[in-house]
Amino acid sequence: MIGKRTSCILLVVLLVLSLCLVACSKKETAKTQESAAGYVPKLDPNTSCSITVAGHYSNFEALEAEFNRFSQYYPNVKMTYIYMDGYSKSGSRILSTALAGSEAPDIFFTYPYMYDWVDGKEISAASENLADPALGLDLSCIRPALLSKDQSGNILSIPVYTTTYGMLVNEAIFEKEKIAVPKSYSELVSACEALKKAGYDNPIMCYSKGSDLLYPLFYPYFCAQIKGNEKALEDLNGMKPGAGEYMRSAMELTADFIGRGFINLQECNKLANNYEAVILRFFEGDVPMMLASGNTVSGTEKREAKSEAFTAHPFRYSFHPVPSTDEGGYFINTISVGFGVNKNSKNLAMANEFMRFLVNTQELNLMAMAKRMVTPCVEMSLDSVYAPFQSVGGERSINLSDLGLEDKASSQVSKAGWQVAAGNMTVDEVVAAYGSIQ
Amino acid sequence: MKKILMILGNVLIVTVILIFVSVYIDAEQKRILASQTESFESMTVAMENVTTNYLVGEQQVCNTWANYINSRNMTAEEAIGFVRDSITSAEIMAHILVSDGQKVSGLSTKARPQNPDDYSVSYENVSLYSQGFDELLREEATVNVTRIYTNPINAIQSIAFCNPITLKDAKSGAALPAVLLRVIPVSSFEKKWAFPTEEYKNAEIALIDSAGDYIIKGHSFKNSNFFEFFQSYNSPSSSVMEELRGNIVGNPGVVEIKDSTGKQSLVAHARVSSTDDWIILSMIPMTELGHIETNWTLIGIVTAGLLIILTFNLFLLLSFNRQLKVAVTAADSANQAKTDFLSTMSHDIRTPMNAIIGLTTITGKKIDDPDIVRENLRKINLAGNHLLTLINDILDISKVESGKLNLNPVNFSIVECAENLVNISQPMVKEKNIDFNFRVSRFEHEYLHADQLRLNQIFINILSNAIKYTEPGGQVNVEMKEESASSDRTIRLTYIVSDTGMGMTPEFMARMYQPFSRQTDSRVNTIQGTGLGLAITKQMVEMMNGSIDCESEVGKGTTFTITLELPIADRQMDDIKLPAMKVLLADDDPVIRETAGETLHSLGIEADLVQSGAQALDRVSSQHDYKIVILDWKMPDMDGIEAARRIREIVGEGVPILLISAYDRTDIEEAATKAGVNGFITKPLFRSTLYDKLSEVIGNESTRTDQEDDADIAGVRILVAEDNDINWEIISMMLQMHGVEAERAENGKIAVDRIADSKEGEFNLVFMDIQMPVMNGIEATKRIRSLSKPWQSGIPIIAMTADAFSENVSECLAAGMNGHIAKPVDMKLVIKEIKKIKEERL
Repeated sequence: MIGKRTSCILLVVLLVLSLCLVACSKKETAKTQESAAGYVPKLDPNTSCSITVAGHYSNFEALEAEFNRFSQYYPNVKMTYIYMDGYSKSGSRILSTALAGSEAPDIFFTYPYMYDWVDGKEISAASENLADPALGLDLSCIRPALLSKDQSGNILSIPVYTTTYGMLVNEAIFEKEKIAVPKSYSELVSACEALKKAGYDNPIMCYSKGSDLLYPLFYPYFCAQIKGNEKALEDLNGMKPGAGEYMRSAMELTADFIGRGFINLQECNKLANNYEAVILRFFEGDVPMMLASGNTVSGTEKREAKSEAFTAHPFRYSFHPVPSTDEGGYFINTISVGFGVNKNSKNLAMANEFMRFLVNTQELNLMAMAKRMVTPCVEMSLDSVYAPFQSVGGERSINLSDLGLEDKASSQVSKAGWQVAAGNMTVDEVVAAYGSIQ
Repeated sequence: MKKILMILGNVLIVTVILIFVSVYIDAEQKRILASQTESFESMTVAMENVTTNYLVGEQQVCNTWANYINSRNMTAEEAIGFVRDSITSAEIMAHILVSDGQKVSGLSTKARPQNPDDYSVSYENVSLYSQGFDELLREEATVNVTRIYTNPINAIQSIAFCNPITLKDAKSGAALPAVLLRVIPVSSFEKKWAFPTEEYKNAEIALIDSAGDYIIKGHSFKNSNFFEFFQSYNSPSSSVMEELRGNIVGNPGVVEIKDSTGKQSLVAHARVSSTDDWIILSMIPMTELGHIETNWTLIGIVTAGLLIILTFNLFLLLSFNRQLKVAVTAADSANQAKTDFLSTMSHDIRTPMNAIIGLTTITGKKIDDPDIVRENLRKINLAGNHLLTLINDILDISKVESGKLNLNPVNFSIVECAENLVNISQPMVKEKNIDFNFRVSRFEHEYLHADQLRLNQIFINILSNAIKYTEPGGQVNVEMKEESASSDRTIRLTYIVSDTGMGMTPEFMARMYQPFSRQTDSRVNTIQGTGLGLAITKQMVEMMNGSIDCESEVGKGTTFTITLELPIADRQMDDIKLPAMKVLLADDDPVIRETAGETLHSLGIEADLVQSGAQALDRVSSQHDYKIVILDWKMPDMDGIEAARRIREIVGEGVPILLISAYDRTDIEEAATKAGVNGFITKPLFRSTLYDKLSEVIGNESTRTDQEDDADIAGVRILVAEDNDINWEIISMMLQMHGVEAERAENGKIAVDRIADSKEGEFNLVFMDIQMPVMNGIEATKRIRSLSKPWQSGIPIIAMTADAFSENVSECLAAGMNGHIAKPVDMKLVIKEIKKIKEERL
């Protein structure tokens, strides 16, 4: 009796194991389907076509990972990302040309300001209204302020990445020097002083060309000052004389900080660009703090291996709000990249299907984390490097789309800050020159 | 344990097979992979030649244009016009670019789509060069082609073949260095630049420079730099990266990488000879080169299949084993059953045989006493009949076990049945000195319609068990009574046998009806028995729609109650009456007194019932009209013999005195006769018993006896084929007794010859034994049937044989016989058959 029972159990176990072998071979597919839980394909899974996404990223592994996930549902759809020369340049007209051409992309990068370009109307005209309910996009997963509508009420772009401004912190240096990562302006000043004393000639660095010098310091502060001030916004957007006063405190902050001598402009000027050069310089390991944007942070992970110094001496780093006040810093959030759909696409249905697949909390968060960007979703899931931003309170979070500051006003403020930081103009001069600052 | 070993052995074999399959597949895959890898690498080298030819070809077109332009000292407008006229393909365009130190711009052979009149082109936003415009002016390379870039005119991803040219400044006439670009869409290039074989249809190729930057890339090559692509999807260490760089820029070879989808892919690389530092890369998923990974799905399915087969075979084997076990058990059981059966039969046969032999012995000693001889012969006849019943049971025992037993209901007398029962049991009762009481009460219907043989068997089985398992000196009481049933045509016959024997345990009672069940008891073991009796009894009772109940207590005794609802026979004893007379009956047993009184009353007799010999004396003293006096032998105050002697003194010789006695009255017979007893009545006092005895003493002819009508069959001539002398003697004498003439044939051949020699009408019938020397009965019958003369071949032949199985009967009839009579011969049946034959002949 025992023998019979044991035999049965043995056989059943072996049978189950062998069936498990069969099941395991299907595991990968199942896992992939898990990742896209909730998405139900609408089109014929055997549809065969090509979809091209065009943009200015030279590499876009995060998107290609989405292509791979999407291909589990549509294995015969060839998804390609192409880098276009001059894509993000306002005068290149490359996107409008491409959209009018024989090899027009099906999906393309968008920026909030691109519709103001010389070919902005052509781009708008070629863009599909993604708010069309027939498309079935789950727009509720995106923070409402990030969804901008045109005059007709159409949504031509879905944000996929947002960015912020802050400072990369070499935590190893702070730990080594037993200095706390600054949470307030006074702590920032103290930390810089301490680091200087400890032998760090460049306690804080930033890209200095264009209008980026100290931008992560003063611009969030400026935005916080005018937040909710309708009059100020009206004056600033209207380029009204005297509107420069609204940026005085931000300029004074810039002047104060640059006056303390923590920024070595000569050294900062060596940074060839605000992306790879900044990252590789930070990875040299001797810069405690590097002011940067989220776009720059997005390139850090991949460049860790590119940096011989970092490879030789890796360290832990994180991205923090710049503490521009004694209460701390601000979390400025603005769209970095969106996706528009070419309404004249030869494969419009599949392009829309991919957008339907992509626009949900899970996929957008996955893509944001893969790129080390900030997700546009209501339910934010940030990469660990962004952890310090999690603790910023809601009252200190500013969505630039909500703020209402127009691009030209924003440009004047950033130029003013650069002029003050570069020592070209005084605070009074930039305040007075608002509207005509070069 | 054997099963586990068998399973483990099979599992081991399956495992070894799977391992072998896995290893073999793996080795085969490696071999195929190595072969295909080599082939793929060769194809890549071949592709390098194709690429070189293509690139050189395209470059040469560009060179031709450039040479022409340079030789003609053209302005930019003239040059672009020349090139525009030279281009035959709609997909291809050319750009002539000039640098003013800051911007690179020039003219295109095609206008912008948005403005058909605008042929200007600006490369301001195209970063084809990192060190400056001069990079495009290299002359030393055989092929000078750009990476993929976005054509500023139509925004199509393109590559361009470059040639430095010298133009004439339209204004100053000075020489103006410029670059001529032959711009080809990548899509167009890709159509021509693919692996030439179907085998590698999913292979993709790329051209990179020594830094890894793509010049041209296929869809699966991601990023803008091959090494960055490798880094993004393979997470290599720096040493691996360096090794890869070294391999790629070195001699042709292959490297394995993961592509952007995580698939293991093979990248073959070869330097492009027509360029300085370009490398051609071919990438193909490893799965396209054969199965590089163990196919677990296949192995899993094979494993599952083998295990299913194993399981199936195992269960099949177990099933066979189980069936074999059952067969072996059945064979053992059959053997045991055979032994038990023989033992049982021995027991059952010995019981009536005991009566026959015992009575024969008694008869031999009392041969001078005709009454005793007559009585004993009667009893011997009864026992013989029972023995015949048993032999029939032997024939039917297999039917009992297989459930194919059929009932053969006949009209029979329950009185005879009871007498038979008493007679058979008496020797054992006497031997064990058991107080045996057999009471029959309220029997209104003596003749019933049921299978008498089975009923006898039921009664005997229960009763013999009671006697067997009752210690000497114990008591066995049998009560048989008739009760009203659900229908007027049936009676409820209740047969109760109770004993003061050893009793049964509840455990045994739970299984006592199973064949061969015997109680485990040292006392039981000394008693002969097989345990078949109750099983047969129960089955027979159930076949008769009856019930059997048992109450027993160890050490106190057992009571079996059998209840049967039996149909009443058409003929009854109700019309049997005796002349009206007055009878005195004395018995101390009130039940016997009451039942006997009722029975006598039903016979038309007025019975005075007294309970002692003294009362009987008083009655005969006071009343002188008793025609018969019936006295019980055992009465407390005065036994029956003493009472008879005294009554005889009072009533004289004119009144018959009958003594109610037990079965064996040998011991008292002489004393009783001397005392004046005229006859004996054996208990139980059935209606028929009383009728017969009273008729005898008053000289009344019994109407019950079926007398054979000898006159009907007298003169019939029968040829009896019988080899056995005794059997011949018996049958011949029995036939003579009925006036039938018989002639013997000692074997089948003689019988055939005798019939063949017979004259017409010489024989009316043949009784044919089957098993005979020289020629058996079957063969003889066939020979007779084949005789030529009709009165010979058509003579009736009745088998008279001890071969009594149904198949024997069938065989006889098939051979041409007209009937079958089983031995021992029932004379009534013989006469019946003779009569039938005679009637048919008439």
